[in-house]
Amino acid sequence: MKQETSEQLQLLTQAIIQGRVDESGPLAEKALASGRPPLEIIEKACLPAIEEVGRLWEAGEYFLPELIAGAEAMKAAMAILQAALKATGQTLQSAGRVVIGTVEGDIHDIGKNLVASMLRAASFEVIDLGADVKIDKFVEAAVEEKADLIALSALLTTTMLNQKKVIELLKSSGLRDRFRVMVGGAPVTEKYAREIGADGYGESAVQAVAVARSLVQIRR
Amino acid sequence: MLDLQGLIKDRVLLLDGAMGTELFRAGLPPGHCPEAWNEERPEAVAAIHLAYLAAGSQAILTNSFGGNRLKLAGYGLEDRAYDLNYKAARVARSVCPEGCYVGGSIGPTGKFLQPVGDLTEDRLAEAFRPQVEGLAAGGVDFLLVETQYDLKEALLALKVARETCSLPVLVSLTFQLTRRGYFTIMGVSPEAFVKVMEEEWVPAFGANCTLNSEQMIGLIRILRSLTAKPLLAQANAGQPQLGPDGSTFYNQGPEEYASYIPELIRAGARIIGGCCGTSPEYIKKMAEIISASADNILKGELDETGNK
Repeated sequence: MKQETSEQLQLLTQAIIQGRVDESGPLAEKALASGRPPLEIIEKACLPAIEEVGRLWEAGEYFLPELIAGAEAMKAAMAILQAALKATGQTLQSAGRVVIGTVEGDIHDIGKNLVASMLRAASFEVIDLGADVKIDKFVEAAVEEKADLIALSALLTTTMLNQKKVIELLKSSGLRDRFRVMVGGAPVTEKYAREIGADGYGESAVQAVAVARSLVQIRR
Repeated sequence: MLDLQGLIKDRVLLLDGAMGTELFRAGLPPGHCPEAWNEERPEAVAAIHLAYLAAGSQAILTNSFGGNRLKLAGYGLEDRAYDLNYKAARVARSVCPEGCYVGGSIGPTGKFLQPVGDLTEDRLAEAFRPQVEGLAAGGVDFLLVETQYDLKEALLALKVARETCSLPVLVSLTFQLTRRGYFTIMGVSPEAFVKVMEEEWVPAFGANCTLNSEQMIGLIRILRSLTAKPLLAQANAGQPQLGPDGSTFYNQGPEEYASYIPELIRAGARIIGGCCGTSPEYIKKMAEIISASADNILKGELDETGNK
């Protein structure tokens, strides 16, 4: 029995790593049916799987299609496992609350969506404000949503300056210490992130998750 | 019709540099549709074309990079696709002298085909169709499907272009330098790219954006080892940096950028221009370097290979 269920966990892990979106949900259900607690399935099958997807991306083995498929497969499994968890009166501890968006003047949303789905896959609660988001809207939403983190995406050299403006608005509103700020996007570099006073920078969606984790930990 | 092969047989064709960063410099407000300026501020767009021509560009690209329906929909302008592209072509045509050429720029939609995204091939094709029609009616000499990362999307744009007009269509992908070599974000390798371009009889193809002029050399070498077709290269001016006055600038200056051009030609690039961050100043430096060294490089190649 024990061996059989650990095999089930492995099947679920593999389904997520290989991005088999239609199979990960049913496999999560099977694992639950075998009597494993949802939390154990999440910790032993799902989280290692999405970490492996991230590792393969970092290694240059996986590209955008595989990364997105992996995140989608994770989402499908997590929807079932979180519902089961809730039924037992438990909730999965959130890795943190993130308000994310592409800054004002910029309609690019590929990178931002990718970061949002990778954060969700890593158990963050993500409030996605979309693209072309006004500077004060970020601050308002972060206060309202009691966010830990504000994540700002910019794809243009002109709009990346709006990342700086969000940080300036936080300062002038006396809210700078309440939120950690991370920035990203094609033209953004680590040096630029430092210069505008951001707390973190992720070169890729996978790095963004690691940066978000460390920022939230520092905060807590 | 544009005789591409003849044009670059024994010389390098110099394209223009960035349009987007120049539009912002000319006062395009962030969040404003760049293609809308083809009708609102045609004189500003024309001034950018003229500056590139004066700097030595032999072909200029229309202000229509985001002129597909899906991208224009972000500004509520999807139904203006034909008009804005037609006007983009007219503006460029109106300032382009005899002996120079106008290329119609066709960038990516920014959306993904199924299963990565929710886009169907039909919707994608219809996003490009009015753009191609507008550019062709406006009188461009060729089309450049550029900055593409998904080979399927590039091929669909190519297909629509060929269904719609008889203009030569060039294709350019944007590659990143990963730990395992050059790939697009969708995982397209130089090998896969060249194979498909050869199968489709694309007359010239290559790479633009993302890489700086130094990194571009390695990629062009790989492409050259895979094909004998004319190669196109438009590198970025490096990475944007924050200036002391709070503005952004690119870290590869015109001198440094242009210093890699002879090596880029030696690597096999024949149609050369600039991408993000480049300006008429860069093109001027490139024109000087090309006129000083391209003849010798190309002549050297001819000598080495007999009659090429």
